[in-house]
Amino acid sequence: MRFPLNMITLALLAASAQALAGGYSLQNANTDKVKFDAWSCKGCALETGTAGNVGVGIGYQDSDDIRSANSFGSDNEVPYKLDADVRHLTESGYRTEFSAENLGMDNGRANVSTGRPGSYNISLDYRSIKTWDSNTVVSPFQGISSGNLTLPGDWVYSGSSDGMSGLAAASPFELSLKRERAGLGFDYQSDSPFATYVNFQREEKSGIKTASGSFFNQSIMLPEPVDYTTDTVEAGIKMKGDHGFLALVYNGSRFSNGYSELTFDNPFHPTFGAARSGTMALDPDNQAHTVSLQGLYNDGSNQLTGRMMAGQMSQDQALVTTGYRYSLPTDAMDAKVDLLGMDLKASSRISKDLRLSGSYSYSDRDNQTQVEEWTQISINNVNGKVAYNTPYDYTSHRFKAGADYRISRGIKLDGGLDYRVDERSYQDRETTDETTGWARLKLSSFEHWDIALKGSYGKRGGSEYEASEWTSSENNPLLRKYYLADRNRTQTELRVTHSPLDSLSLDFGVRYALDDYDATEVGLTESKDLGYDASLSWQLTDKLLLSSFYTHQTIDSAQAGSSRFGAANWFSDIEDQVDVYGLGLAWNDLMDSRLKLGLDYSYSDSSSSTQVRQGITGDYGDYFAKVHNVNLYAQYQASERMALRLDYRMENYKDNDAANDFAVDGIWNLVGFGPLNHDYNAHLVMLSINYRL
Amino acid sequence: MKTRPLSAVLGSLLLGGLLALGMHGPAQAAKWDAKMTPQEVEATLDKKFAEGNYSPKGADSCLMCHKKSEKVMDLFKGVHGATDSSKSPMAGLQCESCHGPMGNHNKGGNEPMITFGKDSTLSADKQNSVCMSCHQDDKRMAWNGGHHENADVACASCHSVHTAKDPVLSKSTEMEVCTSCHTKQKTDLNKRSSHPLKWAQMVCSDCHNPHGSLGEAGLVKPSINETCYACHAEKRGPKLWEHAPVTENCAACHNPHGSVNDAMLKTRAPMLCQECHASDGHASRANLGNTGLGGEMGDNAFTGARSCLNCHSQVHGSNHPSGKLLQR
Repeated sequence: MRFPLNMITLALLAASAQALAGGYSLQNANTDKVKFDAWSCKGCALETGTAGNVGVGIGYQDSDDIRSANSFGSDNEVPYKLDADVRHLTESGYRTEFSAENLGMDNGRANVSTGRPGSYNISLDYRSIKTWDSNTVVSPFQGISSGNLTLPGDWVYSGSSDGMSGLAAASPFELSLKRERAGLGFDYQSDSPFATYVNFQREEKSGIKTASGSFFNQSIMLPEPVDYTTDTVEAGIKMKGDHGFLALVYNGSRFSNGYSELTFDNPFHPTFGAARSGTMALDPDNQAHTVSLQGLYNDGSNQLTGRMMAGQMSQDQALVTTGYRYSLPTDAMDAKVDLLGMDLKASSRISKDLRLSGSYSYSDRDNQTQVEEWTQISINNVNGKVAYNTPYDYTSHRFKAGADYRISRGIKLDGGLDYRVDERSYQDRETTDETTGWARLKLSSFEHWDIALKGSYGKRGGSEYEASEWTSSENNPLLRKYYLADRNRTQTELRVTHSPLDSLSLDFGVRYALDDYDATEVGLTESKDLGYDASLSWQLTDKLLLSSFYTHQTIDSAQAGSSRFGAANWFSDIEDQVDVYGLGLAWNDLMDSRLKLGLDYSYSDSSSSTQVRQGITGDYGDYFAKVHNVNLYAQYQASERMALRLDYRMENYKDNDAANDFAVDGIWNLVGFGPLNHDYNAHLVMLSINYRL
Repeated sequence: MKTRPLSAVLGSLLLGGLLALGMHGPAQAAKWDAKMTPQEVEATLDKKFAEGNYSPKGADSCLMCHKKSEKVMDLFKGVHGATDSSKSPMAGLQCESCHGPMGNHNKGGNEPMITFGKDSTLSADKQNSVCMSCHQDDKRMAWNGGHHENADVACASCHSVHTAKDPVLSKSTEMEVCTSCHTKQKTDLNKRSSHPLKWAQMVCSDCHNPHGSLGEAGLVKPSINETCYACHAEKRGPKLWEHAPVTENCAACHNPHGSVNDAMLKTRAPMLCQECHASDGHASRANLGNTGLGGEMGDNAFTGARSCLNCHSQVHGSNHPSGKLLQR
């Protein structure tokens, strides 16, 4: 029976390929009549030599808050940069390209690549990203930027932070993180169906981030040193045929942390356990390796795509023993997680207007780490409690089936059904499953209108919920963790684009989503998300382009809790809001096409309010961030090759968080960093010269 | 059939640049569009493609008329115009590799050729079939049936080949191009905290493959967490004491596009933590914040400073032998 079936399948496939393949793929080109001998391409004007643009810029900024450097790309008072986009082509077809954007600033990038297109290419990349939080935060510790934070010799210990006279002399430090990346890549291909590539990248991340150390009920905000190095390698072999390809790819990543632990003196009077210092384990060195085989087959009407992936994440860093007085079951974990993944996707064009598709994805995280007995430092420091680690396994299966049907030219309907099952170990619910149906209608048949409407409904359920099976202290049996809980999710979106004139385009969208956790009595019970936006792009005259947009979003969430380990007796409402407005004006072709002027302005106001009710009502105070950004620019073409550009940029920023608006000693059992709020105006002027080679 | 309005938005975005280069405004629709319906154009192109009446002299036949156009000649500045690369269209059917057989188009330019981009009446499907005949590889294997293909986005809605360097590949304009349709993400990246997307220090394609992928949301890695680990390898572990949702999905607590809360958290602590932790004792208490009766948000370690993280600092997991409660 196999033979006839295969014959029929083949015959059908062949027939459908001929009848429906459509398209103008080169593989289907009818080149029988071409007389290539006469195709000499004399007029092909290949420009050899060097061409492109090089620009340099220098600026001056005025800011009293380092946070503005996030927008301006540098915290230098006099920032400078190199921009370039240069290519060099030799007569033999050797091509070299150099590009740079904001090189010299803290946020910049550059790339050099050289090779022969279609044969081989070598590339070098550089990229840096720096993010600034504050340089006015303070800490009483010495040895900031090291793994050992000590207090001054004359430190006055106290049971309460306001009794620590040394806090008056706490010194400021910069809370910022910088990443620098360098990469080297090589790829090779020949006239054979094979191609190969290898990319190596090293990233170094350095700076200081926030951590907290605690002794029973006393806590200290700590400057944690960051000195990460991550090396990644990706290498692959690809094989290509007329109807598909195969690729075998290896990905490797090795992470190492310059600091394995952070030890800190206790600024409080030693209480329980008489601990004078504490130690945190910082992120351990680790590595991950994956190999994947992926392929595609396409005959014009039917397509089959697949990927199989196997990998492992591992970590065997020596465990922290500083200040830990119990015996260890092992000096270092042999922590290993096996990863396995498979994706299979098929689509078939049944007719010119109808396509069916289906897919299955499997992903498995199998934590092979041994379970051991670990003594926990407890308040009573004489007898530690014993605990066992719980290496989590997680498996997911996802199925999708869909169809898209072109009802007529300009009316398209698509829809589908998604189903997923998630299996977990050591968690409150062994499995969850979710079924989602969706449909979308797209109308583009009207002359000046495009309309798209999408809706979906999903229902999540699962196995019996056992709230306390694996938790150390008993959880409320009515609690349903939101990522495991039963949930009904409704989503809908409408988008309308109207182009009444060639020069005018209007776009409007509205979306609404409701997550209803209908079986939850304690935990997140509901979340509603409403958003709308409008934008306009209008070529007012030949020279003047106006663009503008506005977006709004409100997310309302409701939550319930119980302070008596039973039915809910406190409730909270959280309302998140954001409004963003933008305006752009560009005057081109002024002064005989020599001058271009532009203005970009944007404003965003995001805020969140939290109310908690239990008899009385409390709130979490102001929590907002408001920012105005202006960029005014003028570009003058001084000569055929040289252009001058002047940019003025301004940022007005203000944020607040009532939780962090207090002095270092504002909370009796906590040593903080001081207020973290920002309120500033910052200005940057930059002059750049661009030269066309 | 019109392609996605993305082309219109991108068009206006690039218009400034094009005008500055001394070019004219939006190109006019092709000559034949005035006389033929899109259906007729497509039928003619299908017929021409099947007949295979290519020009007698290849590119030289085309350039007899088209060499005056700066835009046409700009092809030779980029790799698609490289005459000495065996992979370039110029090594094969030259201009007609992409624009189809010339047929009788040279007699007055009335007969349709395959055209691309915003003014083409040809369906995105048909336009893309040309590009995909060469650009079918592991980075584009999920294009078919992917998000953008389903939305009828044509390759030429974003890309141009008649140029030294395709402008959409520039990181400085990428955000504008993507957020012209993805407005929800545009809203997110303007919130209190987000990845550094607003000033293009990071760009959408750092995490998403616009050509689709077999994983979720077109992510460049097979899963959400593996995508995050690409830059946040310190969170990968595996650590001795894991925090269950962290190992499963970073997006359980964070919105990577941005949030009104610090650290891109979906909800601020202690509320976020209390959505899952309600054991008897301090975790189940109502933290009322400012009550007007003496209680204040910033006067206690349960709501003030880092809230739950004041003590449970290692929310991403701990590798300390005594780290079960993620405190050290």
